Amino acid sequence: MARPHIPSFEFQALLDAAVDAVILIDHHGVMEVFNHSAELLFGYTAGETVGRNVSMLMTGRDRHHHDGYLERYIRTGVAHIIGVGRDVLARRKDGHEFPAFLSVGRIAGSEPPRFVGFIQDMTLRHQALAAVQRERDRASHYLEAAQTILVALDLGHCVTLINRTGSEVLGHDERSLRGRDWLEAVVVPAQRAQVALELRALVESEQHRPLHSEYSVLTHGGLERLIAWRCVVLEGVEGGPIGVLCSGDDVTETRRAEFDARESRERMMHVSRLATMGEMATGISHELNQPLTAIANYAQAGTRLLAQAEPDLGDVREALQQIAAQALRAGEIIRRLRSLVKNRVTECEQSSINDVIEELGPIVRADARANDVRVVLDLAPDLPNVSVDRIQIQQVLLNLLRNSIDALAAIPAGQREIVVRSSRNDVGDIAVVVIDTGPGVAPELLERLFMPFVTSRPEGTGLGLAISRTIVEAHKGRLDYEPRAGSGARFVITLPSEPEPHA
Amino acid sequence: MKPLTATVFVVDDDDAVRSSLRLLLKSVGLPVSLHASGQDFLASYDPTQPGCLVLDIRMPGMSGLELQRHLSLRGAIIPIVFITGHGDVPMAVEAMQYGAFDFLQKPFRDQDLIDRVQRAFEKDAATRRELGEIGRIQARIASLTAREREVLALVTSGKANKVVAAELKVSPRTVEIHRARVMEKMETQSLAQLVRMVMEVERHR
Repeated sequence: MARPHIPSFEFQALLDAAVDAVILIDHHGVMEVFNHSAELLFGYTAGETVGRNVSMLMTGRDRHHHDGYLERYIRTGVAHIIGVGRDVLARRKDGHEFPAFLSVGRIAGSEPPRFVGFIQDMTLRHQALAAVQRERDRASHYLEAAQTILVALDLGHCVTLINRTGSEVLGHDERSLRGRDWLEAVVVPAQRAQVALELRALVESEQHRPLHSEYSVLTHGGLERLIAWRCVVLEGVEGGPIGVLCSGDDVTETRRAEFDARESRERMMHVSRLATMGEMATGISHELNQPLTAIANYAQAGTRLLAQAEPDLGDVREALQQIAAQALRAGEIIRRLRSLVKNRVTECEQSSINDVIEELGPIVRADARANDVRVVLDLAPDLPNVSVDRIQIQQVLLNLLRNSIDALAAIPAGQREIVVRSSRNDVGDIAVVVIDTGPGVAPELLERLFMPFVTSRPEGTGLGLAISRTIVEAHKGRLDYEPRAGSGARFVITLPSEPEPHA
Repeated sequence: MKPLTATVFVVDDDDAVRSSLRLLLKSVGLPVSLHASGQDFLASYDPTQPGCLVLDIRMPGMSGLELQRHLSLRGAIIPIVFITGHGDVPMAVEAMQYGAFDFLQKPFRDQDLIDRVQRAFEKDAATRRELGEIGRIQARIASLTAREREVLALVTSGKANKVVAAELKVSPRTVEIHRARVMEKMETQSLAQLVRMVMEVERHR
C-alpha cells in the first residue's frame, strides 16, 4: 500500500520533536504516520507500523473492536473519544501492556476522515498516584490504629479530623464531631479559656514549638478524662498556619495512680515521722528525766543541808559535784539524739543510683506539677553501683526536692525548675546534685543549715536536713550545700561507689 | 525485838536518782534504805519494819508494777509512793488501782516528796496499829472456850440472854455466867465495845 501523504520536512521535524507519541490513521484504522516518540514508546519502527492497522497497538476489547468504533463514528457521526480523550491500556512490541492517555482528533476537512492520535505514557504517573494512594492509606491506617487521640483543628478550633481512638475516648461519633467547635463540644468549661489561649499562643508563636499541655475533656457520657496533649501547628501550602494537630493520651488513671501514690507516701511519711518523733520524744524524755530528777534532788538537798545549824559540808560538796555530773550526763543524752537515727537498722543493697532517683519520679512529678515546677532528670549513664538503703536515700532526695519545691513558690511559675543530676566525680564517687532556680538559702542560715530545729519555714520542723545529713553520713557519704552564683540552691549528695569487680 | 524506826525504802535502777534521794531524805533526817532493783529489795525486806517504799515505776528487769504485785501477794502492807516519768501516767493509774499510796512525776519538788513520805508513814503506822489491835482481839477470842464463842456470836448479833438460852438449850443463868466470862476474857465492860471488836476482826478476816 502506497503512502498517501508523505509529510513535509518541517512537519516531520515537528512530529519528531513532539514528546507525545503521534500516530495518523485513515478511516480504516491504517497507520499513515508513526513518529519518533511513538517508536520509543511502542518499540516498533515506523516501517513496522505504517500501513498496518492501529489495533496492533491496542489490548483486549479495544484491539478487537477498534474497526467497529471507526465504522460507527463514520456511520453515525457521534464521537465517543474525539475531543475527550481517555485512559487506555496500550501494548508494546514486546507484548508489555502499559497505561496510556489517548487523545484523538479528526483531521479537519479530510474525507473520508483521517484521525490523529496523541498517546501519553501514564506508567510513571500511575505509579506516582498509586504511591500517593498507598501513602494516604497508610497514613489513614496509622491514624486509625494509633493508640493516642489524634485531632486536627482549624484556626477557629473546628474539628477537621479525629481518629478512632479519639472517638472512642470521647464517646462521640467521628462524624458528629467533625466541623464542631472543639472547645465547646469537648473541653471542660473551666479550661476552655486556658486552652484557647494556649492554642492561640502556639499558632502565633515564631518557632511553632510543640505545645505540651494537660486538660480535661468531657465524654459523651458526661465523664471527665484528663488528657496529656502535644500540639503542633499545621501549615498550608503557602506556609502559613492553617490549624493545629494534637495528639493526646488519656492520663486519667496514671495521674490518679500518681496522686494516690503520693497521698499514700505522704501519709506514710507523716505517720512514720510522727511515730519516730513520738518514740524519740518518749525515749528522750525518760532519759533526760533521770539526770534532771537527780539534779533537782541534789540541789534541794544542798539547800536544806545549808539551812541546818551545822551543815555537813561534805554532803553539800557531794550534791554540787553530782549536780555538775548529772548536767553533763543530760548533755550527752541530747548528743545521742542524732545518732538515734543513725542506729536504725539499715538495709543496704547494691543499687543503681539512677534507678533510686527514677523510682521517685511519679511522686515528685505529681508534687511538682501541683506546684508548677519543672523537674529535669540529668542522669549520667553507666554509673557504678552504690551500696545504699534505697528508702533512706529516697527520703533524703524527697526531703531535698520538697524543700526546693517549697522554695520555688517564691518565684514566678514559669521559672520554677529543679534539676537532679547524677554523675561521677573526679575521685570516682557518685554525686547526686539537686539544683533549683529558687531564691537559695539565706546567708544567715548557711552556718546552721544542717543543725536540728533550724528552719526558714514557719511550719518546718527543722529536722529534715539534719536527719538527711545523718542518713548520708551513715552511708559513708556527705551532704553539702553549695551556694550558686546568682541564685538558687544546690545540694550535693556524695556516695562512695562500689569498687569495680576485678579491680 | 528492837524498836523499829520508820524507814524510806528507795528502789530505783538509776544510781544518780537513788543517791540523790538518799541525800535529800538525809537532809530532812529521814532514815533511808537504797535498793537498785526489785529483787534486791525483796531479798532484804522485813515486813515488820515500818516505813514506806519510794519506787521507780519503769525499771529494767522487775518493773515497779511487778514489785508491787509481789508485795501484794506476800500480804505486805507497806505504802508505795511511785515515781514516774511524764509518759508513764497510764502505768501510774494502774498502780493506783492496785492500791498504791500515791505517785510523783519526775522531777519533783523536795517538799512534795517529803509530804508524801510523811503521809505514807502515818498511813503505815495507822495500819500497823490497827493490825496490832486486831491481833490482840484475835488472841483474846482464841482464849475463849467453844461455848463462850457461841455466846459471844449470839450476844454480839443483838440477841437477849433469854433468846440465847433458848437457842443453846441452857438456862438463862448459865448464859449470864458465860457472858461474864467472855467480857472478862475480852477485857471489856460494855457490850458496844464487844460488838466493835467483833466487827473489826470480821473486817480484817
